[in-house]
Amino acid sequence: MKKDLADVPGRLAPTSTLEVDHVTKRYGSGDTEVAAVREVSLSVAAGEIVLIMGPSGSGKTTLLSMLGALLKPSAGEIRLNGEVISAMRENHLPDIRLRKFGFIFQDFNLLSALSALENVAIVAELAGIKRSAARKAAAILLTNLGLGDRLNFLPEKLSGGEKQRVAIARALINDPALILADEPTANLDSKIGHEIMRLLRQIAKKQGRSVVIVSHDQRIKDIADRVLWLEDGQFKDMVTMATDPVCGMTVELDNEIKIEWEGQLFYFCAKGCRDEFFSHPEQFSSRSVQPVKG
Amino acid sequence: MTRLAFRNLFQNKIRMVISVGGVALALMLILSLDAIFTGVEQRITVYIDNSGADIFVSQSDVRNMHMASSSLPDSVTRIVKAVPGVAKVTPISYISNYVVMGDERNLAYIIGLPDMAEFGGPWKISSGGSLPEEGEAIIDRAIAEKSGVHLGDEVKILGEEFEVAGLAEETSSLVNSVAFISMDDFAELRGNYDTFSFLLVKVKEGVSPQDTAKRIEAWVRDVTAQTTEAFSNQERKVVKDMSTDVITIMNLIGFLIGLAVMALTVYTATLARRPEYGVLKALGARNGHLYRAVLAQALISVAIGFAVGLAITLLLSAIIPRLGLSMVLQVSSASLLKVGGLSLVIAGISAVLPIRQISGLDPAVVFRSK
Ligand SMILES: Nc1ncnc2c1ncn2[C@@H]1O[C@H](COP(=O)(O)OP(=O)(O)OP(=O)(O)O)[C@@H](O)[C@H]1O
Ligand SMILES: [Mg+2]
Repeated sequence: MKKDLADVPGRLAPTSTLEVDHVTKRYGSGDTEVAAVREVSLSVAAGEIVLIMGPSGSGKTTLLSMLGALLKPSAGEIRLNGEVISAMRENHLPDIRLRKFGFIFQDFNLLSALSALENVAIVAELAGIKRSAARKAAAILLTNLGLGDRLNFLPEKLSGGEKQRVAIARALINDPALILADEPTANLDSKIGHEIMRLLRQIAKKQGRSVVIVSHDQRIKDIADRVLWLEDGQFKDMVTMATDPVCGMTVELDNEIKIEWEGQLFYFCAKGCRDEFFSHPEQFSSRSVQPVKG
Repeated sequence: MTRLAFRNLFQNKIRMVISVGGVALALMLILSLDAIFTGVEQRITVYIDNSGADIFVSQSDVRNMHMASSSLPDSVTRIVKAVPGVAKVTPISYISNYVVMGDERNLAYIIGLPDMAEFGGPWKISSGGSLPEEGEAIIDRAIAEKSGVHLGDEVKILGEEFEVAGLAEETSSLVNSVAFISMDDFAELRGNYDTFSFLLVKVKEGVSPQDTAKRIEAWVRDVTAQTTEAFSNQERKVVKDMSTDVITIMNLIGFLIGLAVMALTVYTATLARRPEYGVLKALGARNGHLYRAVLAQALISVAIGFAVGLAITLLLSAIIPRLGLSMVLQVSSASLLKVGGLSLVIAGISAVLPIRQISGLDPAVVFRSK
């Protein structure tokens, strides 16, 4: 029988905190300048799961990239255990990315020519671990994640959920204090998405790693310790939300695109979804409204 | 990173075949041309090397056979024979001319051999006799075959008819062959009975050819005496001097083709992998790691291309003699070294081109590849 989803082993994590202090990111200059993130402050404790939600274009990815030292803030400071990583010289950053952060992406971003095992091991090798030791560690990690019989598979031979677990193993291999995930469940069906979420929770709770997730996925709220709402590059109070019954996107309750059908109110992210709803209302109305409180 | 280079390379088979094949062909061009000329160099001295002589004595300051003529008076034979250390001598006459078979004219070294010559004649006979009598000629087997000439047929040398009395092996090269006639016929054709061209000398056992050659030069007036090895080297040098320009140009062309193919495939391969290199950067790879992957990819393709090119050239050099062609491909270690060096340069340069693609890569793109 296939292992459903293995438990990640516990770990005595070095406690670490990430502090974001009045961080701003501006793209472009002059007339075309866009402030994607504005004066954002945030602190993430060890073992904490923070979910960042918000409309498209609100700056979530920009913020996450800055947290992961992939992008330099235009102003403000980002500190990891007191060390200011936002001011570090470019040639110190690879080491920080390699050892302090684990990244998880929406479209997995595995290297297509490498096997599952090699995809994980290569990151350990980059950190200076010997090849044999790196492969061994990768094999153990993948086996713990239920991929023991998939070690030598190329990514194209793996399902979406398997790929994301390989990506999680890759994110964990150098024992980072912080996991950063951008829409980790967007390309997965709901059951698999749920498994991945559980896994992320275990990683935070059992291993004491901080996890920052950017997502539109309402269900991630269940596992998050804290949900933040980013809008126009700033954290706002969480408004009451509804779920678009057609596409499953989170929609604000003051959204203009809404209809009443059989006594219930339905909210939509766009006119397209509303029109689709109209064509088969009975099909969508069952998984309806559930307004959620932030 | 080398592993990644390997995997990347072998994942896209078509691109690999193009790059490896292109490099292999380009290197093969260089290798086989070198091999052809090395073969020619070697074959051009085939008579000298197989004459059985230890020393070649020629007219003063004549140091080779090709495009040269030497004339020695008959008396030299007697005097040289008296030089201490000399065991045997054979005078030969030589001229560069044609063996005409029907409509075909084949450039040849015509060698006039004395009766009863103990050495200096053909060393490997495939059929017929090995010493030409009056009115007879011994010509190369491959040339004869090509022109459909058999034992007993007539050929024309220096305007006279000769009967083919023997067929010799290993006496032809891409550019010429060796034909043997009797010394008397040679003299008659040239109208000159008192001189000959070279004196072939065998030394006594245990005697150094070098010392003996020096002694001959000291004892005999107006001659140059060289060991067979030195004489052979001089002969080769003549061919080398004629072929260097051609070889240089062809090397350059081969190098440029190989470089173009390699640079293009490495560049496009890097471009195609850009998103993945971006992912690696985001995960913490340094530019140096990624350069190494690109360089390794170029080195691996060039190494495979080199191996394939060499294999094909060696195969050709094994097959061509069997086809009965008067061509020999000889892969020399100097040529291998040169082509190996060129391969490294090709790999190095083609890996430089995509450097900007990598260093300019922003790791933050990983979140935007959707
Ligand atoms: N490299 C860039 N150059 C210029 N503008 C950019 C760049 N990256 C993002 N932006 C702009 O910054 C704003 C925030 O973008 P960001 O990708 O962070 O949003 P997001 O919240 O992740 O959106 P989504 O939910 O659609 O992924 C957008 O207006 C976007 O157009
Ligand atoms: Mg985004």
